[in-house]
Amino acid sequence: MEKLTTEQIDKALHLLKMRPDSKLETHLNACVHCGLCAESCMYYKTLHDDRYMPARKVELVAALYRKYCTLIGRVAPFLVNARPLDEQMAEEMTDALFGACTMCGRCVKHCSIGVDIAYVVHFGRRMLAAMGLVPATLQATVDAALQTGNNMAIPTADFVDTIQWMEEDLQDECGSEARIPLNETDKNILYTLNPREPKFFPLSIAALAKIFFAAKESWTISTDMYDVTNYGLFSGNNEHAKSIAKRLHDEVFNKHCKILVLGECGHGSRANRWEGPNYLQHSYEFETITAVELINTYIREGRIKLDKSLNQELVTLHDPCNLVRNGGLESELRYTISQSVTHFKEMTPHGIDNFCCGGGGGQLAMSEYNERRIAIGKIKADQIRNTGAKVVVTPCHNCVDQLIQLNNIYKLNVKIKTIAEIVADALVLE
Amino acid sequence: MYWYHYLGLAALVVFAVAMLWHFLRLIREGNPKDFSKKTGNLVKAEAYAYTTAMMPNHKETAYLHIPTFTAGALFHIGTFISILLFAVFFFISPAQFPLWLSRILTVCILAGAACGTGLLIKRMVVKKMRDLSHLDDYLSNFLTTLFQLFTILYLMLPHMFAPVYYIEVTVLLLYMPIGKLRHVLYFFAARYHLGRFYGWRNVWPPKK
Repeated sequence: MEKLTTEQIDKALHLLKMRPDSKLETHLNACVHCGLCAESCMYYKTLHDDRYMPARKVELVAALYRKYCTLIGRVAPFLVNARPLDEQMAEEMTDALFGACTMCGRCVKHCSIGVDIAYVVHFGRRMLAAMGLVPATLQATVDAALQTGNNMAIPTADFVDTIQWMEEDLQDECGSEARIPLNETDKNILYTLNPREPKFFPLSIAALAKIFFAAKESWTISTDMYDVTNYGLFSGNNEHAKSIAKRLHDEVFNKHCKILVLGECGHGSRANRWEGPNYLQHSYEFETITAVELINTYIREGRIKLDKSLNQELVTLHDPCNLVRNGGLESELRYTISQSVTHFKEMTPHGIDNFCCGGGGGQLAMSEYNERRIAIGKIKADQIRNTGAKVVVTPCHNCVDQLIQLNNIYKLNVKIKTIAEIVADALVLE
Repeated sequence: MYWYHYLGLAALVVFAVAMLWHFLRLIREGNPKDFSKKTGNLVKAEAYAYTTAMMPNHKETAYLHIPTFTAGALFHIGTFISILLFAVFFFISPAQFPLWLSRILTVCILAGAACGTGLLIKRMVVKKMRDLSHLDDYLSNFLTTLFQLFTILYLMLPHMFAPVYYIEVTVLLLYMPIGKLRHVLYFFAARYHLGRFYGWRNVWPPKK
């Protein structure tokens, strides 16, 4: 690693010293180093490397906190392991906080104290981002979103082509009234997508459009800003995250829509639903819900009719961390699945205890750590295999991407579907 | 009251002031401002965070590590009893305790001290624990275990061990606010923030 400049260090330490509330202070003072969190972490369970114990990740940031923010750390650093921010520390932080954590929060729920380890890891990433030490591939993803409006830099013409192609397919199935409306105004819903959908999985767009058609929904997609993702959440650069979130927020006003519906993307939902208003420092003036909640509402209100016998294969569900453990949608997901499939089996563990797929926290975007990502994914692969399911449903396109790779590498022989796809398969059009 | 009582009392005052400073700092810094739309119930989530979520069957750190979890629980019970006795000793001399009570307390605290010693040895012997630990971890455990042992000795032989008991307590009380033992306060703050985080998003309490 190149020598850190004083300016880089000052920027990182400025963040540490400017603690805005008691949350960071609390979590940096609470860990007792019991070490019992190790077995809750996919990285430690798979790689058996002590450096990847969640407590060690917290310790990196806490050691800096003690050095620069406590009297005892300045007077007797050897006593409390107060460490300076230098090249070695920055290197350790980059490897552990970017390269060995999906910020899934599983260790948080199980921590004997209640330390929000993922929050501390995110703060550590913010310090690294302030020093310009975000892994190049992750930063490139953020840059693409900032420069082109979507993280895969899909040209608008290509996007429009894909949507029109899907609309034609939809009309073949549902009739000419079925549409995928682009750039219309004064609609009820502004719908968003993970750019992986137009790029790799356009059928999931068609599936959701079919549901909207069945529910007689008034909706539109903006070609200017349809990207639900926000990799600023993972890079730790809150200014970038704010810019991306603001564009989507503003687009709801530009299109005069009433509800922002977040497409099937775990981190995108989190970044806009829970973090977005905090990036912008004000409440959103419109309703923001996830596609999971919207579909759930359609089913409960009878706006769509489902025939679960149309999905006969054994289905299991992968709970995306950002929608379930960090988003509270455990029961909503299960209700939707229960109405859509005949045979369902839970993974062990599941719900808020579920293991991450391994692709979260920006790992899918960071090719530097591909080998680790696939290695830790073995836990998820084993979970899936043990259910005996033929179909894995998950409402997150990042998870879909990781699960497809795990499917190939660990030879699971399963189909991976989104919630919209499994619901669309059971849809009864009247 | 002898000099060592005053010493212990002075340490207690210093400890209380230092912990109050930590507490007031947290209050001053306040809750994180959350502009997102709350979907859960914070009161229920906080109650859950301090109760059911702490149960051994709800945490891997407990049910995957029964021996360590049990040792930790007993160690803490021994500590709580010793703290309680430290307060009681200002009003009632250990010599006035009925024998049966002294014996029951001794057994409980001894179990705690034994578990504390076991945890200390584990920290020294197991590589992943050694890699995670630093001087503060060893010292915190050592002082607390010693506190329990001296509580037993003071309980059994008050005239012989009174000065050394109060000196040990003084060291412990003065060290607590600067070492990891300050988790006596931050534990509750951490559970509070966790309950708030999960409650805001309707994750806790679980809906099943």
